[in-house]
Amino acid sequence: MAIIQAHSIKKHVVTSAGRLDILAEINLAIEPAETVAIVGASGSGKSTLLALLAGLDLPSEGHVSIDNVNLSNLDEEERAILRGDKIGFIFQSFLLIQSLTALENVMLPAELAGTENPEQQARELLEQVGLGDRLTHYPNQLSGGEQQRVAIARAFIGKPAILFADEPTGNLDRATGATIEDLLFELNQKHGTTLIMVTHDDRLAQKCDRIVRIESGCLQEAEYA
Amino acid sequence: MRKPWLAISWRLLRHELRRGELTVMALAVMLSVTAVLSLSIFSERLQAGLLERSAEFLAADRVLRSREEIDSEWLLKAEQEGLEVAQRVTFNSMVFANNELALADVKAVSELYPLRGELKTALEPFVEGEVTQVLPQRGEAWVHSGLFQQLPLALGGVIEVGEKTFTITRVLTQEPDAGFNVFTDSPTVLIPYQDLAATGLIQPGSRVSFNYLFAGEPSNLERYEEWLLPQLDTLTQRWRSVRDEESPLSSALERAERFMLLASLLGVVLAATAVAVAAQRYCQRNYDAVAIMKTLGGTRPLVSRVFTAHLLLLTLFSVAAGLALGFVVQAVVVWCVQSQLEYSLPAASASPWWLATLTGFLCALMFSLYPLLRLMRIPPLRVLRRELDGSELARWLHWIVSGGTVLLLMWLYSRSLILSVALFAGGLLATVLLLGIGRLFIRASRQAGMQAGSSWRLAMAGMQRRARQNSVQMLSFATAIMLFLLVLALRNELLDDWQSQLPETAPNYFVVNVAERQVDDMNAMFAAENIVATDLYPITPGRLMAINGDLVRDAVSKEERDDSNVRDGFGRELQLTWRNDLPPDNDIIAGRWFEPGEQGVSIESEVAERINVKLGDALTFRIGADEFTVPITSIREVNWNTMQPNFFMIFSPEAVNNAAATYIASFYLPQERKHELYTLFRDFPQASLIDVDDIIQQIRSVIGHVSLAITFVMFLVVLAGSLVLVAQVQATLEEREQELVILRTLGARSHLLSRAVTYEFLILGALAGLIATLAMEIIIFLLQTQVFSMEPSVHWRFWLLGPLLGAGVVAVLGGLTCRRLLRQRTATLIRNLV
Repeated sequence: MAIIQAHSIKKHVVTSAGRLDILAEINLAIEPAETVAIVGASGSGKSTLLALLAGLDLPSEGHVSIDNVNLSNLDEEERAILRGDKIGFIFQSFLLIQSLTALENVMLPAELAGTENPEQQARELLEQVGLGDRLTHYPNQLSGGEQQRVAIARAFIGKPAILFADEPTGNLDRATGATIEDLLFELNQKHGTTLIMVTHDDRLAQKCDRIVRIESGCLQEAEYA
Repeated sequence: MRKPWLAISWRLLRHELRRGELTVMALAVMLSVTAVLSLSIFSERLQAGLLERSAEFLAADRVLRSREEIDSEWLLKAEQEGLEVAQRVTFNSMVFANNELALADVKAVSELYPLRGELKTALEPFVEGEVTQVLPQRGEAWVHSGLFQQLPLALGGVIEVGEKTFTITRVLTQEPDAGFNVFTDSPTVLIPYQDLAATGLIQPGSRVSFNYLFAGEPSNLERYEEWLLPQLDTLTQRWRSVRDEESPLSSALERAERFMLLASLLGVVLAATAVAVAAQRYCQRNYDAVAIMKTLGGTRPLVSRVFTAHLLLLTLFSVAAGLALGFVVQAVVVWCVQSQLEYSLPAASASPWWLATLTGFLCALMFSLYPLLRLMRIPPLRVLRRELDGSELARWLHWIVSGGTVLLLMWLYSRSLILSVALFAGGLLATVLLLGIGRLFIRASRQAGMQAGSSWRLAMAGMQRRARQNSVQMLSFATAIMLFLLVLALRNELLDDWQSQLPETAPNYFVVNVAERQVDDMNAMFAAENIVATDLYPITPGRLMAINGDLVRDAVSKEERDDSNVRDGFGRELQLTWRNDLPPDNDIIAGRWFEPGEQGVSIESEVAERINVKLGDALTFRIGADEFTVPITSIREVNWNTMQPNFFMIFSPEAVNNAAATYIASFYLPQERKHELYTLFRDFPQASLIDVDDIIQQIRSVIGHVSLAITFVMFLVVLAGSLVLVAQVQATLEEREQELVILRTLGARSHLLSRAVTYEFLILGALAGLIATLAMEIIIFLLQTQVFSMEPSVHWRFWLLGPLLGAGVVAVLGGLTCRRLLRQRTATLIRNLV
């Protein structure tokens, strides 16, 4: 039973030059604990697909279901609650809140969800990602790799069923990127999380169970690694 | 119940405060609170202090003056209201000593007199007296120094007032309510109220002024006033408070108050502008945080609560800090001023605290409302699409809310709807104009820049690229500079105006009742003794009988209409003078001065307006038994604030045909020569001297501390202005950061970039300064002519000062704010950007 399902989703925007189709009809089902890489050239529509699957945006046509809940039937607030419950995120540019420390950044999703005693969990997660001695550092006092580790810890604090990663190693050098990949897959495996990752990096994509390729807004093929 | 949003808010606030990211916003709110609190406390205390001081000139808080004795129930009622009551009966009478006589101002006073101020007495004439707490006993009289000069008097000797003989026990050197009318003042003889009847001088029809003095708590006074006023007979009774005084002091004060009000209003608007700019940036900086929170499961109400609480906490913190700072600032200012004052300033009420707190919250919350609403609309998708910024929210909402807040603040502060609306409308017009001119300049400067060297070219290109942003930025620069110039120019004008009225050698004595035959002797004495004196003016009492042949009612002159104590006793008479030349400080505004041999009268402009006469009208006067008619040949403006004899009517000498007259002059005698007075005027026994040194000293001290206050206001305006500039520059930092990265990456050297940034600010500042000067001139012209009743003037120096100041300050502040960016390594910059 798929945890995420895209039913004939299309996305287009209206610009001054007329209608621009970003995604053509896409159907996709992702099973629980599956790891899926979405690959494709720049501007092919990968990030748009990720936004739709994660409920950050709604498709122009068709619909996305998470755990059999049709996201198009939810308003923005309900989608936010669903994201808080079930989804974690990791971004290329880390997107940590600059005025919060590493520890506080990790605590944030748990606090937003009203979880009791989030600090203990956050400390443990930061220990796990190797940043036990960087708890009170602000993002700009951390290296890129360290910031991404904070983001990974933050993604896992809510014990999400699904993790969306947008080019998680795109801003990092090869060595740091490799460490982050290992950490990501290790935690993913440990928590049994479904991972959906947008990447340029074929090598990274190969680590996933399945690779989905997007070209000019169309789902070209689905390969199994 | 747990409130996670509060914890997040608090955490954000704590860190951001510590890291200095909220400094400008917090400072702007703090400054507005500090400015409002310190200014309102200071001006309230100053006003209350001056009012108390002025009350001493009345010897009471309120005085009821009546031609007849009042119902004793009125006094009983006053006592029931908790007021102190005293009586003072005054009249002019001849007094006798050793078979010689002189005109004196007899003053019979009851117990408790004076209710405000102090009596000073001495044991010999013409020396500094000492404060006394007692009054003459029955059968005793205290006599003013002046009378010792006119009559052969001695302490312990006797003086006859009407049918009663008094023993002179002290020399009266100072009475709080001595008044200041050079025409009417005769030396005072102070006697006890209980002896009044025994003089036999109070008869039906005698010209006596009954004065009832009241003092007490303002609320009690007001209650009594409400009860009493409807019962007064307006023809014979007059209720007076210090506010009604027409004195050089009150007009100086009134101007100062208006200036303070205006300047601090401008200061508050500037601080509010700084808050507005800072609030916008504050919200922009949080776009990402909102998008992240929403992505991570934060609902809009939750995120709204986080940021509303954040803003409220920030405001609370800034307001508290502003209140503390404002209190300290005003205490320091009062402490500085206090040393110049001879009296202590009363404490202020609670209202400045409320006003300041309200201002802080209004500024912070209302100006942040629109940016905050926009912030709440940031979609979570921004985490992937960085360009999303909630910009679909209607901008007019922002303008309405901000404009409304500024107007509300102005009204709260000035309590004058007309002034607020006028200033607001003027400001709005100026804004639109400045915005338009700013854009034009920026466009024009691009043309010029293209021919310049590379740093200049880069600077011009930068300006052009941010044309819209820059014209808004220039608007704030120009506004800040303009307000500063405005306050500076007005301050100089006001101070110059006052200084010129009261130079160091302003006359401090008047001599009156000089006989015609002694005019030459007196002039010779002034010359021989090196005393700077005005001309001796002949004066004679007379009446205006008819205008163009129509008989006039009596109540037309200023003396009659306003029965303040300095003019009482003359009834319908005017003091008339005649001379060949126009007196100094008189300006003819219509007609011309007399030709030799011409018959005519020159009339003061306000009186002309009041009795509705114009050039050429024929006025009929009566002097003694003679009646004559002359045409109005000129209308004069008179500076009443100068310490010289001034007149409503001046005739050509031919018109009055050398009527019998006494003469009057004013002169300056330095303090250290005061003891010479007695010998100097020994040969002029019937002339009376009037000492106005006290009044001049008081005006000087008021001017002194008002100028201090004005300097303080200026300092606040400068601070507020600088804050606006910094906030503005900060608002463009992110964009500049991007540009710098690109230029640096392309190989631009840092000194080229730093010069380009400096040049851009130099040009912006200079243009803003130029526009500011232009706007300042227009506004100051309006203020001078409409608000301060001053002569309009052009401020040439400011045309240089404005652009230079603008260029300098904006370049320095802009350069300093951007220095952080210029110093960073390219790699750091790039990392900050992503």
